[in-house]
Amino acid sequence: MKINPIYRQESRGSARSFRLPLIVLGFNCVLAVAALLNMYSVIAQVRLTAELQYSSFLEMYVFVASVEFVLLLLLIPAITAGSISGERERQTLDLMLTTRVGAADIVFGKLLSGLSTVFLLIVSSFPILGLVFIYGGVTVADILLLLLCYVVTALFVGSMGIFCSAVSARSTVATVSAYCLTAAVCAGSVAVFVLSDSFTEMTSAPGSGGASWVGLLLLCNPAATFQAVLDGQLGPGYGLAAAFPWLETVLAGHGRLWWISGIVVQLLLSAAMLAGAVRSVAPRSSKKRGQRRLPPQGRNNFR
Amino acid sequence: MLRIEKLTKTFGRTVALDGMDMHVEQGALYGFVGPNGAGKTTTIKTVIGLLAADSGRVLVSGIDVAEEPGRVMARIGYMPDTFGIYDNLKVAEYMDFFAACYGISGLKARERCRMLLEQVGLDDKADFYVEGLSRGMKQRLCLARALIHNPPLLIMDEPTAGLDPRTRYEFKEILKELCRQGKTVLISSHILPELAEICTDIGIIDQGKMVYEGSMDEILSQINVSSPLLISVAGDRRPALEILRSHPEVDTITIRDEDIMVGFRGDKRDEITLLQRLVDAEVQVYGFSRERGNLESVFMQITDHDSGEVVLRHEN
Ligand SMILES: Nc1ncnc2c1ncn2[C@@H]1O[C@H](COP(=O)(O)OP(=O)(O)O)[C@@H](O)[C@H]1O
Ligand SMILES: [Mg+2]
Repeated sequence: MKINPIYRQESRGSARSFRLPLIVLGFNCVLAVAALLNMYSVIAQVRLTAELQYSSFLEMYVFVASVEFVLLLLLIPAITAGSISGERERQTLDLMLTTRVGAADIVFGKLLSGLSTVFLLIVSSFPILGLVFIYGGVTVADILLLLLCYVVTALFVGSMGIFCSAVSARSTVATVSAYCLTAAVCAGSVAVFVLSDSFTEMTSAPGSGGASWVGLLLLCNPAATFQAVLDGQLGPGYGLAAAFPWLETVLAGHGRLWWISGIVVQLLLSAAMLAGAVRSVAPRSSKKRGQRRLPPQGRNNFR
Repeated sequence: MLRIEKLTKTFGRTVALDGMDMHVEQGALYGFVGPNGAGKTTTIKTVIGLLAADSGRVLVSGIDVAEEPGRVMARIGYMPDTFGIYDNLKVAEYMDFFAACYGISGLKARERCRMLLEQVGLDDKADFYVEGLSRGMKQRLCLARALIHNPPLLIMDEPTAGLDPRTRYEFKEILKELCRQGKTVLISSHILPELAEICTDIGIIDQGKMVYEGSMDEILSQINVSSPLLISVAGDRRPALEILRSHPEVDTITIRDEDIMVGFRGDKRDEITLLQRLVDAEVQVYGFSRERGNLESVFMQITDHDSGEVVLRHEN
């Protein structure tokens, strides 16, 4: 099996440090507290009114899933943004580039090790997510779809982090810009949508739906995709979108098509950002850009 | 082994390299000297393909870096002016990582790492964390790392900076040993005398240009030429002055008490015949010596910007 040396190096480092277990512990603690509080409030409700609302169990699923989603959004930039700029700061990037390791190997090795940390977080949260099965109402297929959504989000936001890391010289700059980019994609696209929506309502007849192209902007918003997935599972009215009725109007009616195209768009954007990262890591050879590759025996034969 | 032709490189408005030329022969221990900011690091980074030159060519064993950087990199062991070290790795793991980066793995990698660590005297430190090593040890570890793919050419950017004399001596011994093994070594420094004892060739760079290049013997003889010949004569010194005045290689004659200081252009042979003539003329010579030339002053002369022209000759 071929193992990217950068990835192997990273995992050796992270296996040794206290950081990873701490992150896993903190992550699951927050999730567990969220789930238990939610359960407690449901039970308290039952005690008070002696009436059990089935929807409150679904709310628990939505709540825990949303908390996990937000935690991932907050953690992924921190996990990935220091990767390449950190090598730069340690002056080891140049050293790696003079070996048979290419810029692409470095970028993918870093992405892989960042993602493996995120996957560890996702997998470790299974038991807590599994609490929702106590009451039923959510199927295994639903959970799998949720995981798919998480994985795509991890890839997308992780690629943004790697990209920021590749273009900045300092890790702090990279981290700040990765958070800004994540915020712009997740909240900025919504803000643009809201603005344009109110703008259209002012200028044109109500209900003309003139702002639908701006709605397409939401395709690259992982939060919107996440919401669409939840909507598809539970019907509208749950989760974050409950606070934004207009969002429902965009998401509704497209059904499955919405989140599938969202995932495709985000995967394409991830690929573009990774390519950008590779470009900025590669040493600039003015004459033949991107052709600084190795002797014929193949440089990818890491074993 | 390494040939650089008319290399230029500008960073914005700073001209870092301005028509650099360099020739390093196979098996040489080449000292690449220049004051800070002269362009040494820029040259080296261009050679290993980390920087692209604006114009000019770099050939390593006849291979152009701009065309086949991968093949050139495979032939060069590079030691930058910083360590480039992971603190959370052990010495053996650090070596193993870079071996993997060169596609060397398994038993072969382990054997090579052990051999190199032994060569630089770190074999008993294999299980230590890199951050716990002393500066000199880190330096040697970096050297071992640079040699991991067994490159014929080793390029080191200011490797002796910040080392104590003892460590520096040990480091030089390792370098000599590498040269004996047939490696070509290019070592940069901003201190010329430091390289003088070990180098076979010297290139002096200043403001992005190679201002002097030649073998160590050449530069040493030039230095000797540039310092005056000191002749001590007892008794009557007129016959001595007579001979000196008529000698074609003599530029200046200064008299200080019993000593005559002679600006003498000739080499060792000429000195011998001159002494012979003085003795034959029955001049009572009791001292005949050249002041040992000082590399420092030569370096200062060469890289002295105020005097405009670069001169190696002693000003008369
Ligand atoms: N990345 C860079 N950006 C701008 N200027 C640079 C850069 N690298 C080097 N220089 C300039 O190029 C000149 C040569 O630098 P350098 O090669 O590092 O000198 P040396 O290694 O001989 O001390 C200096 O004037 C320096 O300021
Ligand atoms: Mg330098």
